[in-house]
Amino acid sequence: MLDLLKKLCLLDGTSGSEDNIRNFIIEEIKGHCEYKVDNLGNIICFKKGKKRSDKCLMLDAHMDEVGLIITAVTADGFLKFETVGGMDASVLMFKTVKIGEITGVISGKPVHLISKEDAKKAPKTDALYIDIGASSKEEALSLIRLGDTAVIQSDFTVMGESVKAKAIDDRIGCAVLITLLKEKAEYDYFAVFSTQEEIGTRGARVATFAINPDFALVLEATTAADIAGVSEDKSVCNLGCGPAVSFMDRATAYDRTLYNAALNSGLSVQPKRAVAGGNNSGAIHLSCEGIRTLAISLPCRYIHSPSCVANISDIENMIKLTKYMLNGILSGEIK
Amino acid sequence: MNIKDLLFKLSSLDAVGNITAASDFAYGILSKYTTAEKMDNLTVIGFLDGKSDYTLMLDSHIDQIAMVVTDIDNNGFLTVSNAGGIDIRTLPSRMVNVHGKEIVPAVFCATPPHLSKGEESFEDIANIKLDTGLGKKAKEIISLGDFVTFSGKCGELQNDLVYGRSFDDRAAVACLLMLAQKLSGKKLPINVAFVLSDSEELGMRGVRTAAFRVNPNEAIAIDVSFGNGIGIKDEECGELSKGGMIGISPVLSKVVSNKLIAVAKENDTPYQLEVMGSHTGTNADMISINREGVKTCTLSIPLRNMHSETEILSLSDLESVCDLLYAYIMAGGVLNA
Repeated sequence: MLDLLKKLCLLDGTSGSEDNIRNFIIEEIKGHCEYKVDNLGNIICFKKGKKRSDKCLMLDAHMDEVGLIITAVTADGFLKFETVGGMDASVLMFKTVKIGEITGVISGKPVHLISKEDAKKAPKTDALYIDIGASSKEEALSLIRLGDTAVIQSDFTVMGESVKAKAIDDRIGCAVLITLLKEKAEYDYFAVFSTQEEIGTRGARVATFAINPDFALVLEATTAADIAGVSEDKSVCNLGCGPAVSFMDRATAYDRTLYNAALNSGLSVQPKRAVAGGNNSGAIHLSCEGIRTLAISLPCRYIHSPSCVANISDIENMIKLTKYMLNGILSGEIK
Repeated sequence: MNIKDLLFKLSSLDAVGNITAASDFAYGILSKYTTAEKMDNLTVIGFLDGKSDYTLMLDSHIDQIAMVVTDIDNNGFLTVSNAGGIDIRTLPSRMVNVHGKEIVPAVFCATPPHLSKGEESFEDIANIKLDTGLGKKAKEIISLGDFVTFSGKCGELQNDLVYGRSFDDRAAVACLLMLAQKLSGKKLPINVAFVLSDSEELGMRGVRTAAFRVNPNEAIAIDVSFGNGIGIKDEECGELSKGGMIGISPVLSKVVSNKLIAVAKENDTPYQLEVMGSHTGTNADMISINREGVKTCTLSIPLRNMHSETEILSLSDLESVCDLLYAYIMAGGVLNA
């Protein structure tokens, strides 16, 4: 599982440019399920089980990650960019990026050359730029094109009981889905590897319309702020305490029956203790005539940075809870 | 070893406080070409004798910016203080190595954008905790006072630009090591002392005792200076790939500055000028007031993103600096000026 997650995290795929991820996933799931790729690039999979339930369920994980898009090139050959998805400038500055095969460094004024006041404030994204070492605009444009995307490079490192990588949001969801699709299933179900989550949960919307399920389980990563200097009431969820399920976030009021069933599963699981953020559930639960939806999220520190940190035991427990909910809903035990 | 491999090797090694890897490596090379000695902690000096009793000291600092552990909590989070100038605004999500009983990878906490609203305060480095992922075990492996260093690797950009950590001032160390090899076995008009000094980043401390030890007649401090970039004024920076920056400042010797310029012109070596109104912020400020005073100048390598782990420089500038110093020494420095 960790090896699969590592491969997925090391691939680059910002919203709207998920090709690398999609190609990798298709190679993994080929022969284990039926699948098709739709107009927005979603992979829609149908997994045949031993039995067929009278309920239709879809699992969702998004393939895209936050990143940068090149918007302009200066006369000196420096690249200007915008972020794709939410990222703070403080996690961007002085990191290395790949624009396809081209390496660059996100650059800005060194601290020596800014005022003492500015040195205490967060940097601004519009003051940053990417240096690829080009000596002119012409040279830069011979190497890259406006609209190319850039992803901050970050290796996959085991840190004690945790792993550190970029894009755990939401390659963890992809890894769990691939793992499930490779196993024998009790019941038929659909699985969607969706696009464009980070820019407004767009892929999942159309995939859900295509499937029109009764239930949806969204596999995600969510903010864990269980870090030094943050009080317990603001920590949202804790690493090592199992996957988080949410009663409400800024996009969804979740199905309370599903939420309670997850909490009462007897498995390692925790409630998300904040009404914050949002994910594909927002788009999914409002699809068609409404879909009963629950998000199962891996607690993840420093989410939307190149150094996401997640606990290894939580990953195993996320698979267990997903299977429990999947089979519970399809068998009719969870109503 | 070519200059790129040498620079990348020096960048990969640490030298701060009791961690001497870069210093040990440089000593190994310097002792091949010069009469080398280790002074205190990190400082290494290599001597080459010439035909006079006149000594030119070439200084680059071997130490690097780092941080030091000041607190360890029960959940494996560390508080650190800076040892040298750290850009606090850019720490969130940055990976570092903690030099405990073993090397521990760790990451600086970052508030996710959903919660930060982009309005964080970066007043105090102590507010940005360091996550080791070790929980209670952290206290067994890590002690107060352990050093913390950036863990970034070197890489290549277009043309001959490269990026990496601690190029300030390993780029200059690489130049001096190449120069020592080039000068070794040659008949020199003057003595040359290669000083790789400690604790520049803590306020030019190491060079004080090193300069006292060498007791030079003249000196050149080779360091990095600001390279061009968006939002940086022309008068604040040099341009990459345009050669070393010869310093001109009230605290520097005009005789040495002029001679460096003359030698560069004579040999068609690329160079640019760096004019400073007062102190240079380099070891030259300290060497020039060593003992009874030393004629001192700066020669700087233009560098983008100073004090980050992705400092960027042009390898051609290292060649230019090395060539200029070689010609300058062969011309006898300012012995007869």
